[in-house]
Amino acid sequence: MNANLVSQILFYFFAVLTVGSAAVVVFSRSLIYSIFGLLFTFFGVAALYVFLGADFLAATQMVIYVGGVLVLLLFGVMLTHKLYNLDLKTETFQFVPALLLIVAVFGVLLLAMTRATWFSGGVRPPEPTTAEIGKMFMREYILPFEVASVFLLVALIGAAMIVRRRAQ
Amino acid sequence: MIGLTHYLVISAALFSLGIMCVLTRKNAVSVLMGIELILNSANLNLVAFSRFTSGNLDGQVFAVFTIIVAAAEVAVALAIVLSMYRMLRSVNLDRADTLKG
Amino acid sequence: MDPKIIADLHKFYPEIVITGTFLLVIVADLVFGRLRRAVTFALTVLGLAAAFALTLPLFAAAPGTMFSDMVALDPMALFFKAFLILASLLVVLAAPGSRELSGSGLGEFYALLLGVTLGMILLASSTDLLMLFLSLEMVSVGSYIMVGYLRNDRQSNEASLKYLLFGAVSTGVMLYGITLLFGITGSTKLIVVRHALAGAATPGENSLILLVSTLFILAGLGFKIAAVPFHFWCPDVYTGAPTPVTAFLSVAPKAAGFAILVRFFFTGLSQAGQGLTWITFASINWMPIVMVLSIVTMTFGNIAALRQENMKRLLAYSSIAHAGYILMGAVVLTSDGLQAVLVYLITYLFMNLGAFMIVIEIYNRTGSFELKDYRGFYRRSPFLSVSMSVFLLSLMGIPPLAGFFGKLYVFAAAVNRDLAWFAVIGALNSVVAVYYYARVMKTMVIDGGDETSPVHASWDSTALIWVMLIPTVGLMLFWDQVQKITSGSVGLFLGN
Repeated sequence: MNANLVSQILFYFFAVLTVGSAAVVVFSRSLIYSIFGLLFTFFGVAALYVFLGADFLAATQMVIYVGGVLVLLLFGVMLTHKLYNLDLKTETFQFVPALLLIVAVFGVLLLAMTRATWFSGGVRPPEPTTAEIGKMFMREYILPFEVASVFLLVALIGAAMIVRRRAQ
Repeated sequence: MIGLTHYLVISAALFSLGIMCVLTRKNAVSVLMGIELILNSANLNLVAFSRFTSGNLDGQVFAVFTIIVAAAEVAVALAIVLSMYRMLRSVNLDRADTLKG
Repeated sequence: MDPKIIADLHKFYPEIVITGTFLLVIVADLVFGRLRRAVTFALTVLGLAAAFALTLPLFAAAPGTMFSDMVALDPMALFFKAFLILASLLVVLAAPGSRELSGSGLGEFYALLLGVTLGMILLASSTDLLMLFLSLEMVSVGSYIMVGYLRNDRQSNEASLKYLLFGAVSTGVMLYGITLLFGITGSTKLIVVRHALAGAATPGENSLILLVSTLFILAGLGFKIAAVPFHFWCPDVYTGAPTPVTAFLSVAPKAAGFAILVRFFFTGLSQAGQGLTWITFASINWMPIVMVLSIVTMTFGNIAALRQENMKRLLAYSSIAHAGYILMGAVVLTSDGLQAVLVYLITYLFMNLGAFMIVIEIYNRTGSFELKDYRGFYRRSPFLSVSMSVFLLSLMGIPPLAGFFGKLYVFAAAVNRDLAWFAVIGALNSVVAVYYYARVMKTMVIDGGDETSPVHASWDSTALIWVMLIPTVGLMLFWDQVQKITSGSVGLFLGN
């Protein structure tokens, strides 16, 4: 078995994992199943980043999305339901029209993407990206970088303020 | 050979599923999950384009910022959900109907 | 450090001052005990005033971009900077007196407001799609929190959750559109996007993807300006939020949204044509699409406002309608149109904030937002009733009040572009709007009310209302200055 075939098989495995887990997120009746579906979606996306040569991004995805966002969502689900009732059902509404709409959207997107001619600035071969990204943060992207830190502070203060209990 | 289109198809699928999740779910946390799917699909686009079309790391840097924004948004969202849960003892959006649209 | 970055920092003083004030307010809120309210208020007011003062000398600087083409420094960006800082300052002045906010500590409120202001001025000057996304999110997330500021009030919580969910979906969709644009053009800088689209050899095959991507981006921008069909969050959020926040949302983020909409369409998707017009690229014809958006928005807003009994909700639908009129100015793609947008925004700032100030003060004194409790208000407070009538007349567009000039410019811009029918629709909409504004006036002045106890507005609210009244009434007298400022601000740095 040559390496090319193995990598193709792995790619398809992760692709199916990602989209399949996303489907679980959307269609599952139980909220807990949805959350675990989301976990595997994030994991699959991180794997796809590795395939695309984005090593720093894959690590960031795992740390922040799985280690942060997902844990937060899990807390959110757990703290907002009666704990002895683990059957966390959610209702759905207008299912069939939404499904038709989504299939249409997906179709249009596919059509548009296959017809389009993308920009050709050259293929970037996979190589370690962390140092390069770090330099870019300090040069071309310094303004968004600093603004992002102010933004995080705003979100932090806001979230803490909202959740704080009534007593000052 | 795995090419750009493969990744774009995956991201379009994720995007569509995310929209589906947002449209059909009533629980606020489920809608948040749909939003995360949408944001991840956009990120996948960015990284794929960065690799195959733009020849530099602009897309990946953008993706890092998206992750930052998404994380902050989820934190604020859950703070509001928690606060609302204390008010309402539920996060069912149908119960959030004192404000008639 | 890169010398160019340091040079850019010298032109960045307003933003630096606002960020510094933001940090100081956070610290002051933690450090000072009993003096907290006064100190944080003073810091915020001083900081915003200083930032406003620092914006003015920048008008003399040569237009260009800063920080590697992330933000632009051109007359239009500076106009919006000054406008947005002023709007924030006025809202801050109204906050301490507000009864709704009196139960909560205001330190975080000021900090959040400053953060949102920073986001807004960056949004108004963004020339890069990443900066656009980041600053839009900053404004949005800050707004979500401010809407939910009354933690113990059910409506406030609900409003902020709805706002967040709707907003996050809209910006997520917008982000997807941005990524598609990035794929086609290879860059996130608007200037490069424009070059790539202009120089496309075979525009035909890219037209579908361009349509999709720009529609998605429009979803996010339309959400910010509350244009139909992205307006669903607006009435509920405006009603549930504390009224100073509603007043703020109806003017400032909306204006910032218009700033970036204009910038996106003019510098990203069009190029200068003959004379003073812009033409969009051959592949997509945006004008009809956005025109329909404008018409639907103003019509829906006006019709929905007709049967509202709650003042905040009424003003929410009214502000949706006004967004439709402002879009008219942006859609015609001429310098006239741009100037009309700026003029309308100036008049809208004063008349809309004025109307909200009165609603706030009436709530402070009587505890109600319902129209039925406004009956016979003239007997109880002639000052509040008369000034409210002035603001409503201005919102209607009656000359010689400020609102008339805003509408005049917008309709004239449409007529100048041979779109007289468009202007006629706008005029018809204004006529429809007269009904619900007049209804409020009639309720306050003519109807008899059960309550007859006199209402005395507090001195600070009275002062603020006068600050809004004077421009609303007297703008006509300073028309030369307004003309000069707005026509001078139309310059957008287009890049080379």
